[in-house]
Amino acid sequence: MIQTVNLTKEFNGFKAVDNLNLRVEKGDIYGFLGPNGAGKTTTIMMILGLIPPTSGKVFLLGEELKPNNVEVKRRIGVVSENQYFYKEMTAEEYLTFFGELYEVPNVHRRIDELLEAVGLRNDRNKKLGAYSKGMQQKLAFARALLHDPELLILDEPVANLDPTSIKQIRDLIEEENRRGRTVFVSSHLLSEVERLCKKVAIINRGKLLAEDTMDNIKRRLTDTIHMEIELSANAESLSTSLSELPFVKGFTVEGNRLEVHLKTERDYRLDLSRFLYEKGFLVLTMKTKEMSLEEAFITITQQNISLLAQGEGNA
Amino acid sequence: MRTFRVMKTLFKRDFLYSLYSLGYYVAIFASFFVSSFILKNFLDSIGEEDILVSAYPLNYPLYITLVIISLYLVILSGISISREREQGTLEVLFYGPVTPGSFLWGKYLKDLCLGMVALGFTAVYFYLVSLFTNLGFTLGLVKALIMSVFLLSCVVSFGLFISSLTGRIRSSVLALVAILGAFLAIQLGYNALLGFEKESLSVPMLYVRQAMSYVFRGISWISPFAYLSRGLDSVVLENPFLYVVNIGYAVVYSLVFMFLSVYVMNKKGVKA
Repeated sequence: MIQTVNLTKEFNGFKAVDNLNLRVEKGDIYGFLGPNGAGKTTTIMMILGLIPPTSGKVFLLGEELKPNNVEVKRRIGVVSENQYFYKEMTAEEYLTFFGELYEVPNVHRRIDELLEAVGLRNDRNKKLGAYSKGMQQKLAFARALLHDPELLILDEPVANLDPTSIKQIRDLIEEENRRGRTVFVSSHLLSEVERLCKKVAIINRGKLLAEDTMDNIKRRLTDTIHMEIELSANAESLSTSLSELPFVKGFTVEGNRLEVHLKTERDYRLDLSRFLYEKGFLVLTMKTKEMSLEEAFITITQQNISLLAQGEGNA
Repeated sequence: MRTFRVMKTLFKRDFLYSLYSLGYYVAIFASFFVSSFILKNFLDSIGEEDILVSAYPLNYPLYITLVIISLYLVILSGISISREREQGTLEVLFYGPVTPGSFLWGKYLKDLCLGMVALGFTAVYFYLVSLFTNLGFTLGLVKALIMSVFLLSCVVSFGLFISSLTGRIRSSVLALVAILGAFLAIQLGYNALLGFEKESLSVPMLYVRQAMSYVFRGISWISPFAYLSRGLDSVVLENPFLYVVNIGYAVVYSLVFMFLSVYVMNKKGVKA
């Protein structure tokens, strides 16, 4: 749905985006992360064709993005970081205007559905100048979905919203994704990205550092997996035999609770369960203590670690 | 076809919004007020002298009306792109099916239609004036009003070009004031130098006068107000060829500035 090939943008010699290679597949909810000034918005502007790249290419919906390719743009919906409206218009007039621009059939019925979905039905005749930031953000969502786009590009979509509205928008994004829409989300709210996204890309100083599923990124950042296990009986007797297992790097035993540090080459949970069963223990609970996306993000961006294979991501 | 639909949608929103704005009617009223003042002085002088010396007595008041309407339109079109850039609404339009071309032609049509509506009011005003003063609503006046549509087109395309270059409303207004002020200053300076006998000027001043004549000739092809003067002059001269040529010049001028505006907008993008 989106592919960038060696995408680069220079401003007066400064590389805001440096040889960026992204690939968003159909049906993905793709998180695009990076600290302030990492080049996220510049990348999005290039993807939307609003600023020309210094070099490299953008493919949108399978077509190379050329200047003013409006037929491709008709198939995408965008919610930007800042909301810009004609303040003298009401929500209904605003959406009708965009409905006419995008030639939306049955536009008034579609507007009704969307205003209901974003919780603005009762404010449809209010001037947009009187809308709060949260209401503006929701209206921008309604505008982005108005023409039933195949691809949604969201730049900080829940930045100005209260928790209830965040849930409303999150549900809406998930619902749209279930209907087959591909979603590209750039956000600072890592908890939101973690809940929503299947795949993420992390950029820093214009360079792509990681692009993978969330689980893979976390796994690749750590050389140990921590397992917390609750057993049916006291596990003190296991000490000697556990240390002999080749995939165990360390462990601690406390009564019937066991914490095991496993190697990361592959998933050893089955091997561990079998071992414990053979030793006469029943596993009551087994939990993986995971690195959060926030921890992964901070580790990657602060230490500028690249999780890309050579030749991948940044050429 | 779709581009035309986009243009029409942009035109409709902008045109209706501008038509409901007070500033538009204030400009038209101001132009009629100034024209009425000139006409009163003119009629007073006819009363005193008991003689009418002009074959086109309503043309000068019409010229003044057009200048005021043109000033309003040049500012309106001069801020139309920069305002949307500054407010960020341009960016939102460009997420979708709007291109620099459809956007600019939509704005051009909107401003030209506003000008034509103002010309409609002007025609009614001068018709009423002719009824009350017996000065006559002549064919020349009708020709001048038709010519005015093309002259307003020059004004609008020039304003849009300035707006395409600037990112903020303030910069657009300052640029317009500076450019139009410079045109006026050069014209006044040149006229002042022409007032001196050639023999009374020193050699450096003669060079200055010569240089200014070249600049003045150049400006007369760039300034939309020069087209306004030339166009109305062609009506007074009653020369059909010159009349058609001036319409042709105005069309070419408008097209050149519109294409330049689209080019600049493509280069400059949507950000302020």
